[in-house]
Amino acid sequence: MSTELVAVTMPEGTVPPPLPGFVVSSFSPLVAVAADRCLTARHGDPPAADAVGQRTAVVLVSGSGDARMAEHVADAVDAGARIGPLLFFQAVPNSVAGHVAARWSLGGPVVCLCPTGEPKAEGLAYARLLIEDGDADEVLLVCVEQAGAAACAHAVLVSEGESR
Amino acid sequence: MTEPRTRVGITGLAATSALGRGTQAQLAGALAGAAAFGPVRRFDTGRRRVTAAATLPDASSLADELAEVVSEACAGLGATERAETPLLLGLHGHPDAGRSPEATTAAFAGELAQRSGLAGVARVYTCACVSGSTAVADAAARIRSGRSERVVVAAGYLVEPDQFALFDAGRALAADGAARPFSAGRDGLLLGDAVSAVVLEPVAAREVLAEVAGWGRAGDAHHVVRPDPDGHGLARAITAALRRGRIRPDEVGYVNANASGADGDSAEAVALRRAFGAARPPVSSTKSVHGHGLEGSGLLELVITVLGLRAGKLPVNVGHLGPDPACDVDLVLDGPRRAASPYAVSVNAAFGGANTALLVRAT
Repeated sequence: MSTELVAVTMPEGTVPPPLPGFVVSSFSPLVAVAADRCLTARHGDPPAADAVGQRTAVVLVSGSGDARMAEHVADAVDAGARIGPLLFFQAVPNSVAGHVAARWSLGGPVVCLCPTGEPKAEGLAYARLLIEDGDADEVLLVCVEQAGAAACAHAVLVSEGESR
Repeated sequence: MTEPRTRVGITGLAATSALGRGTQAQLAGALAGAAAFGPVRRFDTGRRRVTAAATLPDASSLADELAEVVSEACAGLGATERAETPLLLGLHGHPDAGRSPEATTAAFAGELAQRSGLAGVARVYTCACVSGSTAVADAAARIRSGRSERVVVAAGYLVEPDQFALFDAGRALAADGAARPFSAGRDGLLLGDAVSAVVLEPVAAREVLAEVAGWGRAGDAHHVVRPDPDGHGLARAITAALRRGRIRPDEVGYVNANASGADGDSAEAVALRRAFGAARPPVSSTKSVHGHGLEGSGLLELVITVLGLRAGKLPVNVGHLGPDPACDVDLVLDGPRRAASPYAVSVNAAFGGANTALLVRAT
């Protein structure tokens, strides 16, 4: 059994504020702002209280991944163009998940998944696995999809137990 | 924490890397300390600062290499058993994702499952260097709780131009052409091919090659990409694995470390001291011979750890130039060491402060 404590949706067309250290793509900034709104509703200002934060996982679910970033790198490689060093640090979705975890002091597992079915359902099932297996009490689940320049995100904070 | 109900066994395994194809090639290379680094000939590295990696000369496509290891790992399963078995897959994404919008990761995974005669894809892990190890932990959790009868875990990375360019741009690659985990004078990591598969089942199902006795996953909550220098997250992952396995730190006879030759190796050394205390198990990083296989690394290292335990020998930490006081661990140097315990831990860490530990017991 798990409970959705908070849910936040960032619809397509949302322009997230820039996220220092992340360039080229709106993927990571959108994840960060969705996570921030969800966690602010739960904890107020960062960081999360230690007892809860240390047992909170960050799970990012995305079928597209950071498509804009992948295209940018592929184009640069094919054209023989210079690749900026900042791109290395955002080469995987773990990076922005780690940003969220560090900002909010979330010490649970950090996991990124590509869904093969309905993203939120897969993410919630995975959150239940982590909670039931004992490595987390709460899970911040962020589902994010990117198509061209557009991106949308949905963040949910999940805990064990009955609905409140 | 969930009370153990079912013991989890590895009943099939297979791997391909620059050390060669098959388990014997992995074991022989790891024990001999035969580092497989050389000039990359798979693609043009003319614009790169570093031009070396550990690549298998006759490697096929990632899809074909993954299908091959899944087939080999599942050799003991009949068609009906395969058709009932889900696949957990770790990979960066569809190899053509940056060049073809139609190339989706989910479709890539689905085709692999179909080609392998498996029931389908239960989950695809895109969490960088802990992809395969997280998948093993999750598969083990499902089996131990009685929710799955059998799971195939596969993970793969073949050195390719895009990630190579990113790691080169980030000045993460070793300019001297060698990966030197935990060593003084280490200069960075080198990438390597890593394609592996394992079959996990309840211990009683059939002949077991090793038991997955425990696992742990924890985050650093420290930085976007740098590991926590105090090692708290990684230590918690290791401690969780030992707790699940009901094993004391001094019962562990080997750690296959995450260390890659990067600055962050010192953070792992701190984590190992924090988790194991005075026990100081022998440590090596097999990345020193097969390179860093990114999404494929954790599973390849687990396979080599199991092979070493079963052979009674611990792989060598190659490329060591001298001790680094910040990396005070008992390194296996100069040749394989005899395994003094059936228990080993394979440790992995990734960008985002993601950490995993897998405790295995030779059977």
